[in-house]
Parts: sequence; C-alpha cells; structure tokens
Amino acid sequence: MDGFERFARFLSSWLNWVAGAGLVAMLALVVIDIGAAKLFKWPIPGGIEMVGFLGVVVIAFSIAQTQVLRGHIDVQFLVVRLPRTARKAISCVVYLCGMALFALLAWNSYAFGRALWVSGEVSMTQEIPFYPFVFGIALCCTAVFLVLVVQLLREVVRG
Amino acid sequence: MSPVVVGIAGVVVLVVVFLLRMPVGFAMAFMGFVGISCLRSVDVGFSVLARDIFHCFSSYSLTVIPMFVFMGSLAAASGMSKRLYDASYSLLGKLRGGLAMATVAGCAGFAAICGSTNATAAAMGKVALPEMRRYGYADSLATGCVAAAGSLGILIPPSTIFIIYGIMTGQSIGKLFLSGVFPGLILASLFIGVVALLCWRNPALGPAGIPTSWKEKMRGLVGVLETLALFTFVIMGLFLGWFSPTQAGGAGAVGALVIGLATRQLTWQRFLGAATEALRITCMIMFIVYGATVFGHFMAVTTIPIVLADWVAGLPIPSMAAMAVIVFMYLVGGCFMDALALITLTIPIMYPVVLALGFDPIWFGVIVVLVTGMGVITPPVGVNVYVTKGIAENVSLETIFKGILPFLGAQVATVGILMALPQIATFLPSLASY
Repeated sequence: MDGFERFARFLSSWLNWVAGAGLVAMLALVVIDIGAAKLFKWPIPGGIEMVGFLGVVVIAFSIAQTQVLRGHIDVQFLVVRLPRTARKAISCVVYLCGMALFALLAWNSYAFGRALWVSGEVSMTQEIPFYPFVFGIALCCTAVFLVLVVQLLREVVRG
Repeated sequence: MSPVVVGIAGVVVLVVVFLLRMPVGFAMAFMGFVGISCLRSVDVGFSVLARDIFHCFSSYSLTVIPMFVFMGSLAAASGMSKRLYDASYSLLGKLRGGLAMATVAGCAGFAAICGSTNATAAAMGKVALPEMRRYGYADSLATGCVAAAGSLGILIPPSTIFIIYGIMTGQSIGKLFLSGVFPGLILASLFIGVVALLCWRNPALGPAGIPTSWKEKMRGLVGVLETLALFTFVIMGLFLGWFSPTQAGGAGAVGALVIGLATRQLTWQRFLGAATEALRITCMIMFIVYGATVFGHFMAVTTIPIVLADWVAGLPIPSMAAMAVIVFMYLVGGCFMDALALITLTIPIMYPVVLALGFDPIWFGVIVVLVTGMGVITPPVGVNVYVTKGIAENVSLETIFKGILPFLGAQVATVGILMALPQIATFLPSLASY
C-alpha cells in the first residue's frame, strides 16, 4: 500500500513539474510572440497553435497533483453534517465514480490518440501531430485514477 | 422519455451528486457523459468525453486563464498586496474604521491585478487582519470586511469569472473586463461607506489609528503606482486592441515578474510557490470548464435551453420582473454553490433566456458576477468566509457571517443600482475596440 502510494505521489509530482515547465514555456512563447509581432511585424508562425498545445501540457499534467492536494472544488456543507459512517460510505461511492470517469477518460483518450496517429492528423501551420498530446492526456488521466485508488484505500483503511 | 424530461432528471441528479461532495468538474463531466449515453449512445458519450477534453485543454481562447492566474500569483508573491495595503493605510488609517477602509481600498487595488475572490481575500487578509487586531478592531468588522472586499476580485478586471462567461457566451473578454470597472468602484465605495457608518454608530468597532505625515502619505502612494501601471498596461492594451486576452495576461504576468525582481521581493522559492499555486488554480478552473462543456453538450441534446427561452419569453410578465426572478435564482444558487460552478452550470441554460428577454449580454455578465460574488460570502458555502477563517483561526464562523451582513446590503444595493442604470456597466465597453 505504502509503495503504491509513493509511486502515485511520485508520478503526480513529476507530471506537475512537466506542467510547470509548460506554464513557463507558454508565458515565454506568448511574450516573444507579442515582441515579434509588435516590434518586427513578424509573429511566430503557428504561435497560436503552439500556445494551445502547451495548454494541454499545463492543464492535463497538473490534474493528478491537484487531486493529491484535493484542490478540485466540491460542495461540502451537506456531507460534513452527516454521521461518520454515512460520510465514509458516500466518500467511497464518490471515489468510485471518479475512478470510473478517469478510467473512461484514459481509455477513450488512448483510443482517440491512436485514431489521430493512424490518420496522421497534424496542426495547420506548424504541422505538429496531435496524437502525442492526446496520449499525454491518457497518461495523466491514468495518474489521476491511481491517485483516486490510493485515496479510496486510505478512506477504507482509516476505519 | 422525451429529451427534456431526461435533461431535467440530469440536472436534478447533478445537484444531488454535487451535494454528495463529488468535485464539481468531475460531476459535470460524469453526468454529461451519462446523459449523452442515454439520449444518443454510449459510443457517442465516449467520443464526447475524449474529444472535449482535448479540445478544451488545447483551446487558444482558454489559455487566457493560466496567464491571468499566473499574473495574480506572481503579483501576490512580489509583495504587491502588502504595499497596496500600506498605501491605503497611510491615506485612511487615522479615520475611525480607517484600517477596514484601507482593507477595502487595498482589495479593490489588488483586484485590479488578480481575478479571484479567494486569492484577493487571502492576500489582503494575511496583511490586514493582524494590523486590525493590533489596533483593537472588533473581530466581526475586521473579518467581515476582508471576506466581503475579497469579492471585488471577480468584479474589478481582470476576472476569471468574466473570462469564463465571455468564452461560454462568445462575448468579448475585453469588453466584459471594462464593464466591471465602474460597478467595482461603486461597490468598493459602498463598502467604505458601510465601514464609516458602522464606526460612526459604534466607535469601539474600529478605533482611529495613528495619523501619518504628508511625506509618509506620498511615500505610501509610490506603492500604488506599480499596481496602477500594471493594471493600465494590461487593460489599456486590451481596450486599444494591442493585445488579445491571452497576450494581455502574458504581458501582465511578465510585468508582475519584473516588479517582483525590481523590488527584490520575488525569490526563486516564491516564484516556484507562485507557479505551483497558478497550476493548481488553473487546473481546478479548467477541469470545471471541461465538465461544463460535456454537460453543456448534454443540455444541447435535450433542447432544454431553447424550450426554456421560448417559455420565459412568452410569459405575460415584464422582462425586468423575469430578470428579478433570474437574479434571485442566482442568489439562492450562489449560497450553495461555488461561483464558477454555478456560472458554468447555468449560463448555457440561462443565456438564451436572457437574450430572448432582450437584455444586453455584457450587462447580464456584470449582474451575474455581482450576484455570484454575494454567494462567496453567504452561508453555508461562502468560500471567502472559510478563507478568512483560515487566517483568523480563533474567530468563529458566526462572528464572520455576522460581520458580513452589512456588506451584503451594499452588494444588494449595487445590484439595484445596476438594474436601474445599466449604462454604468455598458458605457465603457461601448468605447472599446476589442
């Protein structure tokens, strides 16, 4: 259990570092694009699509760490008033629904990525292939699934 | 079963799932998938889940969110909130309730570089609450004014809620930002008026502070200049069409970074902290946007928005009465749901209704932001109240909610003023080119 938890946390943290690098790269690209467009009348070719792809890196790669930190907004006022047993049962059901969602997301993103790979679909200006980013989303959703498994097990074990 | 009945059942089940504490974004995506699978097929549901997440996360128009969130995080890490508070204190500190007034003014200033209510309340609360305690301010006034003034964060541009509203409705984000300027200033003035009135009736609530010299006042004002310069640069860039919204956020983030480096407040550790915070907030917002997109597709399949718009437009009541009902619904919804969740859930349904009633969509955006801004300080889900409680741990939630009540009155008054005089919100956007 501890080893599995350590692995899930390490993976989430590592993915979050990638997201951080993506955020800094996005900021740099946006600012360089402004400078190039305003000063030299030469915006970076495909700048908009590259910023969009970095958006995938920033958001998808930080989902798992946000779940580790329980940073996703939820509505607490009703459940916190319930008895402990009911709270725990509801919590387990919610974790299972979340696991189902992210398992479906991971599997279908993988299938979508494969379809894009086979069709060879690329962006319009820089001709960057779409599939690596979709596979990235599949990987990140798998990481969220693992984090949710850990959190469910902790909830069950806590007693 | 007709699609409309399935849609209504989907909304009811979604609210139940919210109440069971499933994260808002997860719940909307999950219920949207289930709904589409029921009305179309499971394969269509799978396809919507996978395609929407990629299209949402890779959308250039949505990259405005990480840029503005990063700008706010860098501004806080650069100590700008502290300097804003010091400047406001040097001007207002000697008055009765002056520290509370300075807190409101500081929040209004910080809202001009940060687009989130809880970030504004947290940044200013950390600075202002210890000072107010030191000067013997009543806990109810001190905590109430921090929580309430934090709500200015989503009204005064930049604002994450305006960005989401703009993307969901296709309205110009630049115009929406401008529409919040005058209402934000009116609300901040009313908050200051509330503090003055409370301290006039009961001086023990907020004793006067130590007077400051003109030299100190002038030195304090220097602390405002950096914020003013950054705000002007970003908003004028949008106003004059120099920047797209994403570029404006990026330019603002670099501006905040430069200020932090120039003032030597932004260390490597603080930069990492700001980036981590920005990632967490961006991810939280964007997953809700993704969930709302999937759920919005489900709603579109049910045809509920069109049916509801036709029904409301055909009601034999004045359009302003219908708007009052909508505002009341948002007010009640805001008590139980986070502002972002409420807007992403309801806008796809309510927006066609508002258009059918003939209201200006920019004006409606301001009304929605104002009313959901009340939701962040009303029980039982007032996010800002919990943020304030996190800083002032020994103050009870009851005391904070009690302190908030007079400020809630100011917010209701601002909604009334805007409904009577919509030009307050629509005048500035009518001058904008972007």
